[in-house]
Amino acid sequence: MSLLRRAKTWEISDSEGSDAETKPDLNPEVATETKEDQSSGDQNRSVLPAAAGRQSAPSLSPPRPQGSGTPSPTRKRRTKEEIEADRQKAKERKEERERQRAARVQEKEERREAAERLKSLRPENCLKCLTVRLDPALLQQDGSDILLDTLAAFEWRFSIESQQLSHSITWTRDLPQGEDVSVEEEQVVLVLGLADFMDMVISVKRMLDSEGEETERGSFLSPLLECLNRDAQKVVTLLVIESNYSINACGEHPRDEMLQSKLGMKNVDIEEVLVYLQLCKNISLVFLDGWQDVTDHVCAVTKALSKRPFKLLTERAELPFCVDGSWASGVRVERDGSGLVEVWSKQIQQLNRVSPAVASAVTASYPSPQLLLQAYQSLASEEERKGLLAGLLVKSGGKERRIGPEISARVYRCVTAQNPQLVLD
Amino acid sequence: MPASEPVRLGRKRVLPACPNPLFLRWLTELRDEAREKGLKTQYTYQKALSSLNKYPLPLRNAKEAKILQNFGDGICKILDEKLQRYHQENGADAQIQSVSSAAPPAGRADNNSVAPSRKNSAGDGGKDRAPDGKKKRREYVPQKRSGGHAVLLTLYRQSQIPDSKGFMFKLELQAEAQPLCDKSFTVPDLGSKYTAWTSVSTLIQKNLLIKTHNPARYSLTEEGLALAERLAAAERQTTEEEEEEEEGPGVVDLTGSDDGEGEEDRTHPTGSAAGQQSSDTDASCSSEKPQSSQTTSRHQGGGCLLPGTYEIILCVDFIETTGGSNHRKQELVKELQRNRVNFDIRKLNVGDFLWVAREKVTPVPGQLRVPAGRELVLDYIIERKRMDDLCGSIIDGRFREQKFRLKRCGLHRPVYLVEEHGTAASHLSLPEATLQQAIVNTQVVDGFFVKRVQDVRESAAYLTIMTRYLNKVYQNRTLSCRSRELEGDVCGAEEERGVPSCSLISFAEFNHGAVKNKCQTVREVFARQLMQISGLSGDKAAAILEHYSTPHSLMAAYERCASEAEKEKLLASVRYGKLKRNVGPALSRTVYQLYCTQGPLS
Repeated sequence: MSLLRRAKTWEISDSEGSDAETKPDLNPEVATETKEDQSSGDQNRSVLPAAAGRQSAPSLSPPRPQGSGTPSPTRKRRTKEEIEADRQKAKERKEERERQRAARVQEKEERREAAERLKSLRPENCLKCLTVRLDPALLQQDGSDILLDTLAAFEWRFSIESQQLSHSITWTRDLPQGEDVSVEEEQVVLVLGLADFMDMVISVKRMLDSEGEETERGSFLSPLLECLNRDAQKVVTLLVIESNYSINACGEHPRDEMLQSKLGMKNVDIEEVLVYLQLCKNISLVFLDGWQDVTDHVCAVTKALSKRPFKLLTERAELPFCVDGSWASGVRVERDGSGLVEVWSKQIQQLNRVSPAVASAVTASYPSPQLLLQAYQSLASEEERKGLLAGLLVKSGGKERRIGPEISARVYRCVTAQNPQLVLD
Repeated sequence: MPASEPVRLGRKRVLPACPNPLFLRWLTELRDEAREKGLKTQYTYQKALSSLNKYPLPLRNAKEAKILQNFGDGICKILDEKLQRYHQENGADAQIQSVSSAAPPAGRADNNSVAPSRKNSAGDGGKDRAPDGKKKRREYVPQKRSGGHAVLLTLYRQSQIPDSKGFMFKLELQAEAQPLCDKSFTVPDLGSKYTAWTSVSTLIQKNLLIKTHNPARYSLTEEGLALAERLAAAERQTTEEEEEEEEGPGVVDLTGSDDGEGEEDRTHPTGSAAGQQSSDTDASCSSEKPQSSQTTSRHQGGGCLLPGTYEIILCVDFIETTGGSNHRKQELVKELQRNRVNFDIRKLNVGDFLWVAREKVTPVPGQLRVPAGRELVLDYIIERKRMDDLCGSIIDGRFREQKFRLKRCGLHRPVYLVEEHGTAASHLSLPEATLQQAIVNTQVVDGFFVKRVQDVRESAAYLTIMTRYLNKVYQNRTLSCRSRELEGDVCGAEEERGVPSCSLISFAEFNHGAVKNKCQTVREVFARQLMQISGLSGDKAAAILEHYSTPHSLMAAYERCASEAEKEKLLASVRYGKLKRNVGPALSRTVYQLYCTQGPLS
């Protein structure tokens, strides 16, 4: 890579020196004059004396050196001005070169920085910048040790500190530049027992039924709503542990039973509450069996957060289609070019509604893009070119049919169109 | 009574009306219904329609129709049911008269509206095709007030506006061309599958029109501009003449066509010469056609939906109801029916469920078919995944592709509805942890809302409650229609949480915009083509496209190279991706080999 870049650099200095090609004529004078008059004040680099040396050797060779080398008073005076001009030019050239070098250095620097930045965004590095923040109230619950143990085993950073929202888990991420700067991620996980969750459902239901009137909101709902009022961008997930209940023989969910028996609430009511929380508060809900599941979920969120910066950066697609998928894997091509015929066939298949059978009919008759192009060039009229492939026979499933004028015209336009935005269908 | 057809160019013989107008009408209705929902059965009905159109004899019942091509047991059964209902409503003796008589008896509203429009459609069809088939030598000039004529004229007028953008989008073009055209651009006539829009492909074929970009933009080619200029000049001339000479009869005709439709005045472009002329030449046509085209043009134009004038309807993708594991899928529909959800099954080009606000429309007197109400899409779209679907789609890559398309569909609140089915996930080909991670990623990385349910029943309950809730939320809202094509996407940030968005795109535009692989541009195909080389990733292809955006421009660049060595290195120093790396000599060489090998490839 660096080799190529160097080659390019040469090209640039060559082309930039197009006026430099006229220089050899003048350089000797510059050199001699500098030596005579201004040798002391001159900071010209070795380039010029060297050029002068080169010049002095073939000074006998006619006719150019002769003309320029002949000293005459008028000429001398003129050359003095010329000297000035030349010195100026040389200086400009030098500055130009220096600018370029600086630009190159800077570009290199920028690319290095960009690479660093990108590297810091890679999930494995990003993971190191994340801190999982746990509310101490969580750790008082039975079975919660497993969460701490797992985080410690992964060697992920975590802290136990009182959160705005009791029983919640949040994340912060250090920004790459400074050590102290960190951002709070928008994800919030709130871990609730089934009983607490049901209190919340009842509170919401009451709130909805009373249509906005102030009601008693319960110990979990009101801090939650306050938290969302402070920052509407937060995305809250409720993790509800129903560990003490196992699914009973009828396959009924314990929460259904419990709600129904205790409160006369129906599934519809709870679903209503959930839909309200979704649409108005962007709160989602996961029922889990115990702390192992909670731990798994917290780990999954942490991993997802670590992947996000890089994904967002690389996802900003320049292409109008999803670049993932089996179609995009590509055909392996050897150095000698074997495999290209398959590439060519796959290329034709990229047009809508072109099957492998149709594509291989085309590539069998025209086994390279050049051969197809030549065939087009040999035809006189647009109509003929459009219809070139229409008559080719396609064998599929024992039947034979023709490619037809529509596909033929599309292939033609795709290969020869000059307007990249032309719609083929 | 429109007994005599106005003289039309390109038609020599007036086709006899179809002797089976009732069947014709029912089949057309069935087809259109299927088409609105995007069902494949529309083609079956279309084939049957074509057969029926060709059959010259009256049929007494649907069983007789079975001798016709493309009439299967299913269609015959449906038609028989309809016929029985018809008998019940109109008496058993209505049969012979209405079904078998070729000339519709005067004074019967239904038959009047059927027979003449069938004539018209035949006339239009002939008119559209005639220049194509017979007069190959002669220059193609679309007939006045045909789709092609209207489109050319509209684009011409647009191009004459100073600082115009030089092209038009489909909806825009249809809306503005409609007043210049007798036939509807959106609703096909009875017995026909063509709308006036069909002529656009003819114009493209004739190299008068060019279609670029995605979403599609239409503009005139040089030839098209020249032709349109002449058409416009001819238009001006005739209107001047008519204004001078035919003022009297013009007035009479205007009142004639105004019968029973007060809307006509409002929807006609005010004072436009074309509008005048339309009433003029159309006066003898059936009243149904111009009116239906008027109503559609009215519906396409923006405007607001006031509270109470619309209802919220759940749309279910037909894939969710048919095929595959039939039993389970039927369950969802049954549940929704049981819950009395107002839902509609149709083909959605992205997502599985969404909601539309549909304008309530009342039947227009004298018109059989209720005009289609406007439909705006709410901002929520749901992708439903059972755990095994999720697993399969991760493996074959659909998972990412679907999310990619959901993100760009124009609706800002995508929801992933996951049916977990308890422990059923444990014997899938991906580990449970991978699937859970994928679900969490969908929430955290992609920003979708993730809704977890146990089974289909819970899915149905969720959709039911969502539908009810949205109905409540939108009770007192005034909705306005916005176009993505014209205005671009607004960012969802400006919407506050809990306040439903009221500036919505039309269902038609949404669903059309979401068609998979709909219009490929040369650039897009070229990118995909380059990516067929192993190691040539999306970002590399995008970088190459920056320099050479068509196969043609790359080939031309190769031809400009002085030596083979230069060709080989052409792409080597193209920079790609965030890190601005070089594509490199190896890949450059491969591309060179592909495009520059003179003989066959190996």
